[in-house]
Amino acid sequence: MRKIFPAEELARDARFIRQTNEQRLSDPRGARVGGGNTSEQLAKLTPELANGPDRARALMHGIFVGEIQALEGAGRTCWDFEVGEDVPFELKLDMARQCWDEARHCEISVSLADHMGTELGEFAENGLLYEAACNPDPVLRLTGVNRALEGLAIDVFNTMKEFGNLAGDPVLEFCEDWMLADEVTHVKMGSDWLRRLTENDKERLDKALEFQKVVDRLFSFNGFRGEDDDSPIQLTRRFRELAGFSDDEIDEIADMSREARAEAPS
Amino acid sequence: MPEVSVTPESFEMVFYDAAVIGEVVAEVAERLGLEEAIGLEIDEQSPLGRSKIVSYDPIQLWVDGGALENTQRPRQFGKARSRDTIGRLLIRIMDRRSGRFDDAPTDEELELSQFSAWDVHCVGRLERLGIGGQQKRRQYQFRNRHGFTDVADEAFNQLWDSSELSWTEIERISEECRSS
Repeated sequence: MRKIFPAEELARDARFIRQTNEQRLSDPRGARVGGGNTSEQLAKLTPELANGPDRARALMHGIFVGEIQALEGAGRTCWDFEVGEDVPFELKLDMARQCWDEARHCEISVSLADHMGTELGEFAENGLLYEAACNPDPVLRLTGVNRALEGLAIDVFNTMKEFGNLAGDPVLEFCEDWMLADEVTHVKMGSDWLRRLTENDKERLDKALEFQKVVDRLFSFNGFRGEDDDSPIQLTRRFRELAGFSDDEIDEIADMSREARAEAPS
Repeated sequence: MPEVSVTPESFEMVFYDAAVIGEVVAEVAERLGLEEAIGLEIDEQSPLGRSKIVSYDPIQLWVDGGALENTQRPRQFGKARSRDTIGRLLIRIMDRRSGRFDDAPTDEELELSQFSAWDVHCVGRLERLGIGGQQKRRQYQFRNRHGFTDVADEAFNQLWDSSELSWTEIERISEECRSS
């Protein structure tokens, strides 16, 4: 079996349509993110928005395809690297555990899609998560996926959990809460392995953190994810702390979001 | 077939064809039994899914470009979605003209729960005419406005399955599950 499986060749059935990052970012109406659109006036995602339930459906579908790609990415990390030469065996064990979690999240997401009236493949799939999981350096891969994208997942799951709570939807709230707990663990794995594998390699650490910033920036359009009350996706400090982020690192993501918001066309 | 005028006539941000859109609107109107001229204005800059009735007589509709979009293929025209969007607007016009909705609030005054209940009644009838559908999607929206309860689900079924409810009946059904 070949190493580093290209994103374009991921197996999907006819229900799924892939939208490339180039297509997404070149949409003159604004890029889609977080179940909404960057051209949209910012508003926290709540059931009280006229399009709240539909935005939640779209966001949940984005989570679902993200779970598929996270499963594929963690699975590839188990296979792509050699024990001893590239990674410790314990890192592969963590990735195997993550595969188990992501597979369960896929099943939960399929049930939630049905609960919310969404058909699988109803919305375009973006492959950014898996693309980040193709980095040939395992440290950069875990930093981009586990810290940046799974970190974003913490913020998204918490926002969706609150949405379920406000809507009085016990199914959504419960499912999101359980998946959130797993995501905190995945981010913690990323934080722990980043520190262990770069303990004596400052250059590699800097490179990995820079890669994380690049990925984080891709999801900071117009400050869509941030700490302001009207940020559609709320940055979740407490869970990020539990996942091994320092205060400075969280501040940096919040600042990045604020900058993106300030730079956004009004 | 009713005459349909689509504005703008050509699109720069999305890959839509005004003639195709006009055909879809005319087809939906014909299936609903509407024969008069229809005007449709599209804001192609907006990928959102909002829509509204600008004028009931003559019929003038306004939609975000996103309300006619194929959700699987951004910027591409979506026939099924367009039928659903246009069908929901036109059937509301027919309801208001029927005399059964004379005591309904104006569109701007409708609360989210009221709008959602009426919308369920609209989409249920459209589905039986072969236009639109997505029953579970509408149920999820309805539950968000009326609660995730058995009472709300029963109300949803009543709204969906009924053929000609009045505004008073829709409002009563909506109110009952909100107060339960």
